[in-house]
Amino acid sequence: MSDKTVVARGMVPGLASGMALVSRKAFTFAHGVDPSTGDVTDAHSDISGENVKGRVLIYPFGKGSTTASAWFLETVRLGNAPVAVVTEGIDLGVVIGSVLAKALYGKDIPLLSGLGRELFPATAGSKLSVDGTTGRIEVVLT
Amino acid sequence: MHLTSAEERALRGEEGEAKQLAMELLTKVGDAVSADSLVPIKSAHVLAHYSSLHEAGIEVLERFANSGGRFSVPTTVDPASVDLEHWRSFGVPEEYAQKQFRLCEAYAKMGGIACWTCVQYQVSNFPKSGETVAWAESNSVVFANSLIGCRTNKIAAGLDMACAITGLTPSFGMLLDRNRVAQISYRLPSGPLSDLDYRSVGFYIGRTAGSRVPALENLPASVSSDELKHLGAAAAAAGPVTMIHYIGFTPGSGSLRDAAKGERTETLDVTRKDLEEVAAELNQTDEAPDLVAFGVPHLSANEIGVLAKALAGRKLKRGVKMYVYTSTQGLQMAEMSGARAELEATGARLTHTTDAEISPLKKMGFGVVMTNSAKMAEIVSAEGEVRMRYASTRQIVEETTDS
Repeated sequence: MSDKTVVARGMVPGLASGMALVSRKAFTFAHGVDPSTGDVTDAHSDISGENVKGRVLIYPFGKGSTTASAWFLETVRLGNAPVAVVTEGIDLGVVIGSVLAKALYGKDIPLLSGLGRELFPATAGSKLSVDGTTGRIEVVLT
Repeated sequence: MHLTSAEERALRGEEGEAKQLAMELLTKVGDAVSADSLVPIKSAHVLAHYSSLHEAGIEVLERFANSGGRFSVPTTVDPASVDLEHWRSFGVPEEYAQKQFRLCEAYAKMGGIACWTCVQYQVSNFPKSGETVAWAESNSVVFANSLIGCRTNKIAAGLDMACAITGLTPSFGMLLDRNRVAQISYRLPSGPLSDLDYRSVGFYIGRTAGSRVPALENLPASVSSDELKHLGAAAAAAGPVTMIHYIGFTPGSGSLRDAAKGERTETLDVTRKDLEEVAAELNQTDEAPDLVAFGVPHLSANEIGVLAKALAGRKLKRGVKMYVYTSTQGLQMAEMSGARAELEATGARLTHTTDAEISPLKKMGFGVVMTNSAKMAEIVSAEGEVRMRYASTRQIVEETTDS
């Protein structure tokens, strides 16, 4: 991300910006994030104790229960969701959760995938601007 | 992804709001996984339990149901978060039960079968070999792919409704031959395996196979489909497993060579030490339990009979409850055969339409739960609300009952 911009794959449209919150391990909202606060409660997570609200959440892969979509959606409903999610692989739970978030709550939570893990360090501690249509990720502030 | 003209029409909203949202979910997921097309399914199995779906999940089901969504294929449903018949006497708060009832109503409105079990394949939804289905609930997915020989992905909450309403699912993953080839094989230790051992083997496979499709060799000819039900459930709780080639039993997998399509596979010997390590990991505490839970996934009528025999003449100790979870049919058969009376004479209680790992255990007053289910021990310990004991039926009976 030397030129401050990288293009990943846009999965769910929307524009968002926020501070990056980066996990290097497989991540799940199911029993892993408290929807009523946005706190990461999964003891196995390397960002346990952090809060996802308002952040551009970045992690390599999803894991665990197929109810992650519902946990994600509940987090959106209660206003504690990340503003965008960026992954390396594809996390279907969040794809489904984002589509439902738009349909039920009118919330655009852009979703991008295909961000190589080697680029994760460059995003940590930065404010990012992301576009879920073009897949563009820009560092706006470090 | 290629859509037919009928699918395009539905996506544009010409067949109503519910089908439009369903089609949007299907196409977004299909695009994400690079599926070529949507394919028809013969049945769906969906989730409608409050503990994981939350208020948002109620709103999803109500949105579908109230905007004209109706299931277009036979659709069964996983257990609810409460015993739908006797929730009050199990100490479930009224407010919590009411949330579950909203899910039940929306599900019924869409035409779902009142199944409420995670072993739908044992009671009311048994596909033919080779069929494509769309099932949520990981134990049933493993059972379907591995023992029935039908094809399903592990369908996520929300997408399950979309599949049931449209009768379609994106063609990817376990629907494709190339993803069903065994890539790693396991061998069981010699000697007899206890009920706990079968579950621990499954858990070990789930933990170590990663995204590879596992095969399991040298299963004894005497192994029952109930034992494999629990093995598969444990595997799916521990990792992303959706199919296990049970060599000699899985359709088309008479030998490891068949299962691996002639490719070489790594072989892991599962040792007694591996099983002890799994048991130690899943057993979080040595405290005395205040609840014993049997039936994650649901016990069959036969398993209830076997458990009743193991408990014959014994009495549950003071301060501990024992709940035995089964399907509605399992409960009725146990009642008609007398196994229920035998079981409940010990102080245990048979319950149906719900399951332990999705119950509000803490709200029901429990702090330490003992089970022989690796799946339950894994899921509930991750939540952290109650502490889990993991032990064989034999040890549970010895520790929690008096002769």
